[in-house]
Amino acid sequence: MTSLADRPVASEGRTSPSLATLFALPALLFGAFVLVPLAALVYRAVRDEGVAGRLTDASVQTALRLSLVTSTLTLAIALLLGIPLAYLLARTQFPGKQLVDTLVDLPMVLPPTVAGVALLVAFGRRGVFGSVLDRLGIELAFTTSAVVLAQLFVSAPFLVRSLKAGFQAVDPTYEQVSATLGVSPLRTFWRITLRLSRPALVGGAVLCWVRALSELGATIIFAGNFEGRTQTMPLAIISAFESSQGLAGAMALAVILLAVAFVLLVVLRLVLRGDRLFEV
Amino acid sequence: MIAVDIQKRLGDFALDVAFEAGHETVVLFGHSGSGKSVSLAAIAGLLRPDSGRIEVAGRVVFDATRGVNLPPQRRNVGYVVQQLALFPHLTAAENIGYGLTRTSATARRARIAELVGLLSLAGLEDRLPRQLSGGQQQRVALARALARPVDVLLLDEPFSALDETLRGDLRAELLRLHRELDVPVVFVTHDLREAHLLADRIAVIDDGKVLQYAPREEVFRHPRVRRVAELTGVRNLFGGCLDHGRVVVNGLLLTAEVPAGLGPEVDVAIRAERCNLRRYDPEGELPENCFVAHVVTDLAFGNTHTLHLEPESAGPSVEVEVASRPYEVLGVASRGRWVVELPAPDLHIMPR
Repeated sequence: MTSLADRPVASEGRTSPSLATLFALPALLFGAFVLVPLAALVYRAVRDEGVAGRLTDASVQTALRLSLVTSTLTLAIALLLGIPLAYLLARTQFPGKQLVDTLVDLPMVLPPTVAGVALLVAFGRRGVFGSVLDRLGIELAFTTSAVVLAQLFVSAPFLVRSLKAGFQAVDPTYEQVSATLGVSPLRTFWRITLRLSRPALVGGAVLCWVRALSELGATIIFAGNFEGRTQTMPLAIISAFESSQGLAGAMALAVILLAVAFVLLVVLRLVLRGDRLFEV
Repeated sequence: MIAVDIQKRLGDFALDVAFEAGHETVVLFGHSGSGKSVSLAAIAGLLRPDSGRIEVAGRVVFDATRGVNLPPQRRNVGYVVQQLALFPHLTAAENIGYGLTRTSATARRARIAELVGLLSLAGLEDRLPRQLSGGQQQRVALARALARPVDVLLLDEPFSALDETLRGDLRAELLRLHRELDVPVVFVTHDLREAHLLADRIAVIDDGKVLQYAPREEVFRHPRVRRVAELTGVRNLFGGCLDHGRVVVNGLLLTAEVPAGLGPEVDVAIRAERCNLRRYDPEGELPENCFVAHVVTDLAFGNTHTLHLEPESAGPSVEVEVASRPYEVLGVASRGRWVVELPAPDLHIMPR
């Protein structure tokens, strides 16, 4: 009797091409599709002196600073509010949980411009809550705060989604054992649950931050496009592109954003590789 | 000291478990799904019973009527779960010291070193759980559960994932530990040999109920009801009828110790290894508690043989376990017809 293991294994590529060979062409095509525009951008930015000169423009630096400050602030608020929400969604049952779960996803599938309009209707000076805030002397629309709110609205769901999956993947037995070892629920959450979901936390945070950094549609409607106040990098690219600077101005800004995004990805990989849990 | 008397409904399953013990090892014995693990979780405070009371070392940790329900953090239990659940991101030493949060760094290090010594883990302190063997992980889990002073040690099938040799070693180690620790140990298992080896007292649990709670030998020698006999591995169980202080089983009159106060219908139990085989002599008279039977099947288990015998006239079908040596000396393999003796002291009579 021949067992399965005794049977000769069809050697790769002898009679028919292996799946890897078959899939290589479309994979290469996709790789090229992503790489070509980025390479072209970097190439032009390096070669074109006009681009290099604009990197030091005060307006470019203002936009970059605003982008970094607002997106980081967005991430901080998203972490503060998103971690508890993700934990509740992952670990507990409560009335209306399905609804909350769906609502959290909604901004991810919503066009950002719709989010901008909705935010304006809610928090604009004559908006549903805006009028109340207005009477208290708080103005949100067309301020830097509005930039953060717009970014938060569209980017926080990425963090919550990722973290929820991360928390769900942590076996509750760890938390129970921690409790029997005398460790309080909050400390257990910090030392076990959050620590074991670190890949999801870091991944979700990066996604959230990058999404905030690239936010355009909601910001332009809810916060407007005011240099130094609400004009973040993506808005600055649009303005530059439509101004007399044209493509050259847009390129300078675009290449900076590209560099920032790339550095972030590398950092993410390094952080995760440095994790004891994932060492091989 | 530990005293448990709890009830809990979980869907169709009703748990009703009660036992008390001093500084001894209580084995909760039963099939999977019988409610053993749930009972442990309730003692640890991870599951709230519907009613009842749990007392550990003179302290009431749960009392439904008085509304007492201490959280797991305040119950002083050492709990080793079946899947061990060593924290995968912490080293062996960090796992052991995990619960020592209110201890100074020096004291914590000293305590970890002490446990590393107690459980022979020297040299493994800096390994992550996945770099440890099954037996080593087991010992780290035990050390972690014992790091803080505990009033009771709860062990949920801790050896089930290990191979037989390793299990033997760890059982011996647990016996030694128990002598040193001087706290009650509640040990959950479905392994009969393990239960027998470790238990001072056994609670036989079936379908959420304690069928019998007694010292080990009592449970094994005098099962209270037929189901306990079945669960504790009694292979021969016959229906019988009392007749003037003796028992009739399938037309065979047996002498046995019959407890007082039993009705005419009884269950008769005898372990397979307690039945004797004698050579058949056509001329001779059958002694007391003996009948003629022939071998139907003969299963060789290495150091023992399990024989099934059918009676030729009166008497029950029996399973007889014979050690390899007497099996060979008697020449069981070459003969089909035997006299089976059911010795009176080994027959156990239970109410039907």
